[in-house]
Amino acid sequence: MNIELIKLIPWIPLLGAVLCGICCMKPAWRKAAGPISVLSIFIPFLITCGVYSAASSLVGDDKVQTVYQWIGVGQFQVNMAYFVDPLTMVMLFVVTGIGSLIATYAMGYMKGERGYARFFMGVSLFIFAMTTLVMADNLVLLYLGWEGVGLCSYLLIGYYYEKPEAVAAAKKAFIVNRIGDLGFALGIFLTYMTYDSVSLSEVTTQAKIALANGIDPTSADLWIPFLLMLGAFGKSAQIPLYVWLPDAMAGPTPVSALVHAATMVTAGVYMIARLIPVFQLSPYALPTVATIGGVTALFAGTIALCQYDLKKVFAYSTVSQLGYMFLGVGALSTFGGIFHLFTHAFFKALLFLTAGSVMHALAGQLDLRAMSGLRKKMPVTCWLMFAGCLALAGFPFTAGFFSKDTILAEAMVRGTGEHGSTLFFWLALMGLLTAFLTAFYTFRLWFRVFMGPEHFEMGDDHGHAPEGDDDAHGDDHGHAHEPHEMPWWPMNIPLAILAAGALFAGLFFGGWMDHNIEHSTANPTAVLNVQADTQTAPAYDIITVSSQADTHATDTHAPAVSDHADTTQAGHGTDHEAHRAHGIHVMMMWVSSFIAIFGIALAGYFHWQNRPLTDKIAAKFGMVVEVLYNKYYVDEFYDLTIVKPLRGLGHLFYLFDQFVINGLVMTVGHLPRLAGWAVRPTQSGKIQGYGLGMVLGVAIAALLVFKWAF
Amino acid sequence: MHKAEMIQKVAGLWPEIVMLIGATACLFIGLSKGKGPRRSTPWIAASTLVIAALMVCNKSGTTDEPAALAGMAGYIKLAVAGIGLILLLVAAGVPNRLRQSLDAETAKTFEPGDVMTGEFYAFFLLSLTGVMLTAGAGDLVWLFLALELTSLPTYVMVATSRDRVEAQESAVKYFFLGALSAAIFLYGFALIYGATGSTEFTEITRIAQEQIAANGGTPPGLLLMGMVLAIVGVCFKIAAVPMHFYTADVYEGAATPVTAFLAFVPKTAGAVALILLLSLVGWPLPAPIASLIWLIAVVTMTLGNVLGLLQDNVKRVLAYSSIAHSGYILVGLLAGPAVNEAAGGTGGALGDGIAAVLFYLVAYGLGTIASFAILGCLRAGDREAQTYKHISGLHKNHPFLAALMLISVLSLVGLPPLVGFLGKIYLIGSAYGAGYTILVVILVLNSAISAAYYLRIASACYFGEPDESVVSAGQFPRYAGALIAATLAIVLGIVGNGLVNASRNATTPTQSADTGHLVQQTAAATATTTQID
Repeated sequence: MNIELIKLIPWIPLLGAVLCGICCMKPAWRKAAGPISVLSIFIPFLITCGVYSAASSLVGDDKVQTVYQWIGVGQFQVNMAYFVDPLTMVMLFVVTGIGSLIATYAMGYMKGERGYARFFMGVSLFIFAMTTLVMADNLVLLYLGWEGVGLCSYLLIGYYYEKPEAVAAAKKAFIVNRIGDLGFALGIFLTYMTYDSVSLSEVTTQAKIALANGIDPTSADLWIPFLLMLGAFGKSAQIPLYVWLPDAMAGPTPVSALVHAATMVTAGVYMIARLIPVFQLSPYALPTVATIGGVTALFAGTIALCQYDLKKVFAYSTVSQLGYMFLGVGALSTFGGIFHLFTHAFFKALLFLTAGSVMHALAGQLDLRAMSGLRKKMPVTCWLMFAGCLALAGFPFTAGFFSKDTILAEAMVRGTGEHGSTLFFWLALMGLLTAFLTAFYTFRLWFRVFMGPEHFEMGDDHGHAPEGDDDAHGDDHGHAHEPHEMPWWPMNIPLAILAAGALFAGLFFGGWMDHNIEHSTANPTAVLNVQADTQTAPAYDIITVSSQADTHATDTHAPAVSDHADTTQAGHGTDHEAHRAHGIHVMMMWVSSFIAIFGIALAGYFHWQNRPLTDKIAAKFGMVVEVLYNKYYVDEFYDLTIVKPLRGLGHLFYLFDQFVINGLVMTVGHLPRLAGWAVRPTQSGKIQGYGLGMVLGVAIAALLVFKWAF
Repeated sequence: MHKAEMIQKVAGLWPEIVMLIGATACLFIGLSKGKGPRRSTPWIAASTLVIAALMVCNKSGTTDEPAALAGMAGYIKLAVAGIGLILLLVAAGVPNRLRQSLDAETAKTFEPGDVMTGEFYAFFLLSLTGVMLTAGAGDLVWLFLALELTSLPTYVMVATSRDRVEAQESAVKYFFLGALSAAIFLYGFALIYGATGSTEFTEITRIAQEQIAANGGTPPGLLLMGMVLAIVGVCFKIAAVPMHFYTADVYEGAATPVTAFLAFVPKTAGAVALILLLSLVGWPLPAPIASLIWLIAVVTMTLGNVLGLLQDNVKRVLAYSSIAHSGYILVGLLAGPAVNEAAGGTGGALGDGIAAVLFYLVAYGLGTIASFAILGCLRAGDREAQTYKHISGLHKNHPFLAALMLISVLSLVGLPPLVGFLGKIYLIGSAYGAGYTILVVILVLNSAISAAYYLRIASACYFGEPDESVVSAGQFPRYAGALIAATLAIVLGIVGNGLVNASRNATTPTQSADTGHLVQQTAAATATTTQID
């Protein structure tokens, strides 16, 4: 397929969003919005599949596909241009592929909602912004997509705008993201100041050249990654900016799956992976990313242990898994980070959507304590979620197992050996602990919901289908007293595809992914395909010569470059290192398999077989449970230390503004009018006066000039 | 001038020649007895403009303009032809007005409106020809004649535009004061000739540079006096202090579509003439001239804005705002072309003041033409809609016009993403790059003041109570003109790069090879206009 088609990818969802917007106008048209939206996401997916082979073989400047010149003032060039490399293609597969499945599911899930068309308009618009984000060739366009997804996230979280908690959650998400985005914007400015360009291809090339030459990092080099990182932590919900994500679950469940699990929140990981050379320039940046990631993973994992809200558990697990991804890129394993992003998109979308099915069946009920033994009522959902849980828990040979193992093993490789840093050793151990917690809390949820004695309390969301929902899955829905299974189309079929992905994506796509990452700018060990003239060579033609990269990386005290134990490295000189890495990988596979199975077994015992014992233990450690249930009181802490003082300050400023500034402004505001009154008489309407004025003006001008000149 | 040069020069003037032929055709056909031929005159005018625009695009050789400004003529000619089409749409119905105001019986026997039709379009084309000639001027005499060719038809257009005594009054004022200003700048031209012994720009530039260098950086007395008189005189065309007095009265008296014409066409001619005149002494300007323009710019924008605050008549508000915009344009003129650009250094991303002026003329033109056109679409009883009261609550009865008005005033304020924002950014950038920081601060403060009355227009449209006596004048072309101008204000604000580059290339000789290509890009925008026309 013609590579030019790739330029259409973001615009089709935008068109879809416009059409959905038109559908909002008349109630009769609203039903068309769902199919329009799905098509507007699915067609880009087909294009992505079609152009994949052509896109992967692009070299040099061809990778930059310019749609049109957007801003061009002098040397500051920002184009509506797309950077097409294998990493972009991977992200496009995730965004459009998972997006189509979730949108299809949403057609059924959102059926009968009043804002049906509005919802799909938001979804299509989101896909537009997200594809722009992952395809952008420059930081400004990336920022446009970045803010675009933020806006769509805000709109979709606040979808139920009658509910105060939804509105509050939307605001919280938006404001917390602002903090991160401020850092990101500053990072872009500093990048432009330093590299004289905002083009990703240009910036990564320059960074790679600087890296290869082993130049001492300047202070800008040190700061840029930290500013960009702040943006990534905001968008991807890492400590300290993670607080918005759990609240964001107030939006419709498909939104949680699409925006807040599979795609948008991974933008930060993508951005760091994309700009990995820039991060490598600063010796402290990637260890910081890894530390934040590792700590967040553990922290969020412990909170997830004691949550009773179905979606909250998954929300914290998302935060935790994002932490893994950051640990991965921080450990220089962009392959691991992006691979986990890829598999996580499958299983987390699946988990959220199945949770949505449960919530749907129980009329909005989300409390774990109010449901039990639903496997008979919802057998399909039960086993679909089981597949997702296995993947999340990292059960051997599921998708999550491979990707998580890659990250942990890479971290361990970095943490041991001759140049090993203790930091990464401990982070790897934390990762293992988190893996255990993940397996436990995931199956705690699953056993509680689907196993044990059958028992459920319906939620209070009886009016779920208020507008005569007569055709679809709603035969037994008008009288929502019994939980019921979801229909195969349009809801369970997408889930089945996701489940297949969750189980097998790791097995089949690992090598493919490794190959793709290796040939993108995200390859940390790549050096430029240039020997003689570093200045003119195309930036992104890269080859993998890891030993060189290794040497210079140690030279610059940058984190030692990891060795891909799997394929790329063996026989490249550092045989010893490769062997060691391979050993660690194998060992970690065994360890994490054991941990996952142990966690699942423990969860089975406590939350299926012997629930009374669990309650007893929980009662004994009441304090701990309480703290975890209240999420370490972080929200309260932020409220007390940041929100309240700011609000107080705001009141103070308001008073100041009201009495001091306002008075001043009102006074100053009258000055122009006063000046106007003063010169008004010159506009008498008399032509003699005008003529005199003109001649006088000329005379004054002449006098002034001559007084000046002589 | 040698004969060969003459022939070459004439060869470069084909667009103007076509315009003249079109104007003559309009005059003659306007005299015919039959109604049909007379009604065809606006179409003749339109096709003339289209042909002229196409010829500008295809023009290969350049005339002997000052080398630094090669390409400016092409840019201005194209802009004038393109915006001329919009103006033609806006003004199309003006000469037919009598049929509306007289009863049917009289109209049948005597149709003065139709009699005037041909003349009006002929004058319309002649005035535009004047601007085109101004842009191509390479000689003082030529410049003078071109400027007068721009202005003289407008006096007649103002006088015949309305059957009210106000129109005649303002035409007379305009004519007398215009003549006075012409005398002033002609005197200035004479003194420049006296000081340098030549009327040709290239020659004057060479001699003036020598004299300035010999005199230690300032022009000698005679040349300086000539420059001062010429600059201040031409200020009449752009309605800048101290030659601004006529503006409000004339703009108010003329029929609104003609006011739109006055607000763009003579101002463009004046700004181009100032660019050419200032290029004689070169940038950075000698200190006395720079301080003169600095002062004129500051007083002009401030005066225009503070007087604009006090008006109740929207036409007068827009007239004063037009004065203020002239002040902004002078800022760009003061900054001049990017200093280091030619040397390959970083002249700053936004360094070129002349390019900024050329861009701003289009940006301002679109906004102001759109707002006048919208006023022209309304009638209050049997009078023109002119006051805030007339446009208040426009949103309720004419939401389309209100939306266009909102876009155009926001563009004039300079709000992103509209074209007025880009225009101001370029002006400010160039002035800042040239080191006029205080001027930039004053400009920004003035923009804030101007927001007060622009937003008053917008808020009147949206939040006021509708005036029931106000009805739509119901002329489709005028709506279309307003729509196109406002749409372009948005489109160029977002994808204004072609225009920005065209204006930059207009002032950068090294890239003049690209100009043709970029001009054709701009022609695409013109083509849209053509289709709708």
